[in-house]
Amino acid sequence: MGRKRLLPLVLAAAVCAGQPARAEAHDLFYYLGYEVIQVIDGDNDSIVADIPIKGAAREASLTADRKFMYVATNRHFVNKVDLALNRVVDTIDVSNDGWDRVMFGFVVDPEGKTAYGALMSRTTDHGEVVIGNPVVAQFDLATGKILRSVVVPWGIAHLVSVKGGTTIYAFGQDLYKIDTTGSDLRLAETVPMFDKHMNILPFWDYAWDNGGVASMPYYTPEGMGLLLLDQQTGDLQDVRLKGQPAMAYSVILSPDHKRAYAVMDDVTVIDLANRTFIASVPIKEGTCYGINVSADGRKIYAGGAGSTLTIFDAQTLKPLKVLQMASDGMDVRRISF
Amino acid sequence: MKTKFVEALNEKAKAIERLAAGEAKTAEALGNPPGMPQGCTTIFDTGWETNPRPTYPIGNCQASARDFLGCAGDCWWPAQVPDGLTNNPDFDVACPSIARDWRNLKFD
Repeated sequence: MGRKRLLPLVLAAAVCAGQPARAEAHDLFYYLGYEVIQVIDGDNDSIVADIPIKGAAREASLTADRKFMYVATNRHFVNKVDLALNRVVDTIDVSNDGWDRVMFGFVVDPEGKTAYGALMSRTTDHGEVVIGNPVVAQFDLATGKILRSVVVPWGIAHLVSVKGGTTIYAFGQDLYKIDTTGSDLRLAETVPMFDKHMNILPFWDYAWDNGGVASMPYYTPEGMGLLLLDQQTGDLQDVRLKGQPAMAYSVILSPDHKRAYAVMDDVTVIDLANRTFIASVPIKEGTCYGINVSADGRKIYAGGAGSTLTIFDAQTLKPLKVLQMASDGMDVRRISF
Repeated sequence: MKTKFVEALNEKAKAIERLAAGEAKTAEALGNPPGMPQGCTTIFDTGWETNPRPTYPIGNCQASARDFLGCAGDCWWPAQVPDGLTNNPDFDVACPSIARDWRNLKFD
């Protein structure tokens, strides 16, 4: 090939080099396991890193700059994971000051220096057991020390930060809205759920994976519904679904928010506009707690409970790949870079 | 009037009764106060893990082993699985995957 023929190619390459790269998301999936978090590259669906961690991973919260993920383990440790190093760089314990605490509900404040936890506590006084009031507390992420707290009803199991962290939504028997803007935390509003016969296990919400919308399934004696919570506005959408319910631990939205994918023993596709079930396929490997979807919407990831991660084609619902993970798991989260 | 269903018959039992005389209640059953989490939901336990499929195991996760560590870690069924919150917090170290590692289970 002569130099004259090469010139246009060289010029074209130079022009392309000067343009910004196409904004294609690169997905990394974080499988929250036992004594380990495993990282899966969404481009080739292979395990690319193991992050040793102490205990049973439960809840995860992402800092605003997406550099760190905080993972709660054993319901009282909080581990700071450096996402560039794929390593736990700090661990704190909310059991301190002579109190044993368990945390069902954890979310990092947008500033990234403190977090909120829904805590139950116990200690002993001269050999007698003392049970503390259930609280939602703000604690220091460097020390684990509680900074302030508000007494709440029993049974809270999940927290979502909304409106830039000015309000914490605490999901339990009812929904409790906690105002964080004053000097003290304040229980500002209670939204009834129990009286509506709503039955919910709100451990999985996928707020960051959904682009700022927390999604949770619930059940009533009549059927199934979805709670969709907009983190920016605090609006809570109640999507009551038609027809026989699909049993689901968790549910995630498609990137265009037109569909939802639910998981337990099956992966079930839900049409959000028509509030109907579209399709369902059993998971050959068995029950899964967690579900996620690729940023381009083409693949569904179902994993946790047992030690497998099954990747489905989102259109055909045919399994594409099954990853054998190092441990059983609680969830699979996606971060797109 | 409070009915007494159990009566102390021997000296040891009578001694325990004397020891407990006047003692106030120090423990509450789950469910009191109302709303304490029971079972697998935070609102009420209607059998979350029932499924409509008439295959084994009916009314549970498939397979049950896949749900074991999830239950143990959060102390859902403390009589049936290790209590990961209080008595067996490191249970998963030797057994991170129940289906694969169950032979490592060692409990007295």
